[in-house]
Amino acid sequence: MHFTRKKRSLNTNKSLSMYALLVPGLIFIFIFNYLPMYGTLIAFKDYNIFAGNNPIDAIFKSEWVGVKYWKQLWSESMFRQAFRNTLTISIMKIVIGFPIPILLALFINEIRSVLYKRTIQTVLYLPHFMSWAVIGSLLLSILGTTGPVNTVLRTLGLNNVAFFMDANVFPWVLVISALWKEAGWNTIVYLAAIAGVSPDLYEAATVDGATRIQRMRYVTLPSIASTIMMLLILRLGNLMAAGFDQVLVMYNPTVYSTGDIIDTYVYRIGLGQLNFSLGTAVGLFNSVINLILVTTSNLFSRKAFGRSIW
Amino acid sequence: MKKKIPLKEKIFQVINGLIFAALGLTMLLPFINLLAKSFSSESSVLAGRVGLWPIGFQTGTYRYVLTEPQFIRSLFNSILVTICGTIIAMILTCMVAYPLSRGWLKGRKIFILIFVFVMLFNGGMVPTYLLINSLHMLNTYWALILPPAFSVYNMILLKNFFEELPESVEESARLDGAGNMDILFRIVLPMSLPAIATIGLFYAVGFWNNYMGGVMYITDPKFKPLQQYLYELVTETQRLQEDLITGELNLDRDAINTVPDAIRAATIMLSSIPIMLVYPFLQKYFVKGLVVGSVKG
Repeated sequence: MHFTRKKRSLNTNKSLSMYALLVPGLIFIFIFNYLPMYGTLIAFKDYNIFAGNNPIDAIFKSEWVGVKYWKQLWSESMFRQAFRNTLTISIMKIVIGFPIPILLALFINEIRSVLYKRTIQTVLYLPHFMSWAVIGSLLLSILGTTGPVNTVLRTLGLNNVAFFMDANVFPWVLVISALWKEAGWNTIVYLAAIAGVSPDLYEAATVDGATRIQRMRYVTLPSIASTIMMLLILRLGNLMAAGFDQVLVMYNPTVYSTGDIIDTYVYRIGLGQLNFSLGTAVGLFNSVINLILVTTSNLFSRKAFGRSIW
Repeated sequence: MKKKIPLKEKIFQVINGLIFAALGLTMLLPFINLLAKSFSSESSVLAGRVGLWPIGFQTGTYRYVLTEPQFIRSLFNSILVTICGTIIAMILTCMVAYPLSRGWLKGRKIFILIFVFVMLFNGGMVPTYLLINSLHMLNTYWALILPPAFSVYNMILLKNFFEELPESVEESARLDGAGNMDILFRIVLPMSLPAIATIGLFYAVGFWNNYMGGVMYITDPKFKPLQQYLYELVTETQRLQEDLITGELNLDRDAINTVPDAIRAATIMLSSIPIMLVYPFLQKYFVKGLVVGSVKG
């Protein structure tokens, strides 16, 4: 008896310092993540920032208006347009941007020279580490009227393309530049999965006379299939994230019709026009869809592959 | 024993190598073009004559940018925010990841859920802005340092890494009477250097590249980070090009605001140099760290 009691108290002591370690993190997310969630109340209120002693106090003191802003939301054509664009751009990014890193990883894996392989990887990862502010200004300089791309087009006898002002072209600029920036980086997970494939499998396949393509098709791909599926599902869960920091740098009023996404719309009406309640309503709409998509896809991933992000 | 490589294999290696060399070039050429522009005369840049080599070589653009007070101020701000932010973020992240990586901790699942939930759902831009406003953090360094100072995603990566560490070392240390803190500082942290370097790099790059924080919370030029400075250059240039096309060009206003292309190029180069310098050295670490942290099912 005595012994077990002592053990238990030791255990509590052992845990106590662990809980203490968690406290700063918990306080942090309470303030910076959970408080703003509570702030979404103003999507159902007529928020007046001067109604209280400070903006948070004003949340309590503002008047309830129920679903007023939710009705207004759907009557705004700009919102419907932003919603449509978010889905379009996001789907384009998945269709084009998802398979290419897999293909790249398969072929990077075939490079024999270790030094060359590492050099290529270093170069392909590079743009991932640049901010969209840098890449945006880089693109503006490359794709502008006096930039090299249009110079090449002109020497080929073609017309200038207004990459940043032609509403038909702009979504492609977003999709291709995101591909350019992230495709290399996204190979990492696949390369890691490929590295985990047992060399015996390759040897056996080679002995059986399998060609390189057959080895890729029948050994490598099936071995990383669960990784691919899991990442695809998680990517689908993030459908509402069409690339806020990318679009904000690159878009302008001439391409709102195809380039304005929900996040940039919230930014303009919420922080630009200070329409706090409407901005919050749009943001909340976005977050709720996101929550549903992510939890569903994660659940699916766990059921189907036994793997999930949490 | 050296195996003889068949001819077919050699041909494949060469072609595959060449394709990746071409892909690699598409990553590098834009930066080389920008570098060339930054050393070229403004007239040749405007005429679209600069390719991969400077035309009308000059270094005045760099002298201009490096003596531009706002650039220097913003550079200083970015360095300050990156250093302070990364230190705070690493301390917070390690403090949370360590307890959550210990399977025996009671209530561990609930705590993990509390942290993971913020990845799934967020209050959105406007409530966050109002919070920062209430905390009197608008136009302070805190608005740039604190909101991104804890990433649940990075915490989970680090937690997964901690979980992979062999238990035997910890067990024998416990038998010798080591407490949680001894184990954290003497065993877990020293054994996790690749993961810590990786996550530190992620945070540092995140802080350095963060322009949204500035755009949302900073209007006072004193506190603007470098990326916001760049963002404003871009949007200004965009607005100008639009005005040129729509014919609303106001020479009085725009002649003052226009930033020559060559100077813009030099600004971009100078603000990406720190990352280009640091990153190849850390690559070896972050590949190792990321792989161990993320592959786990």
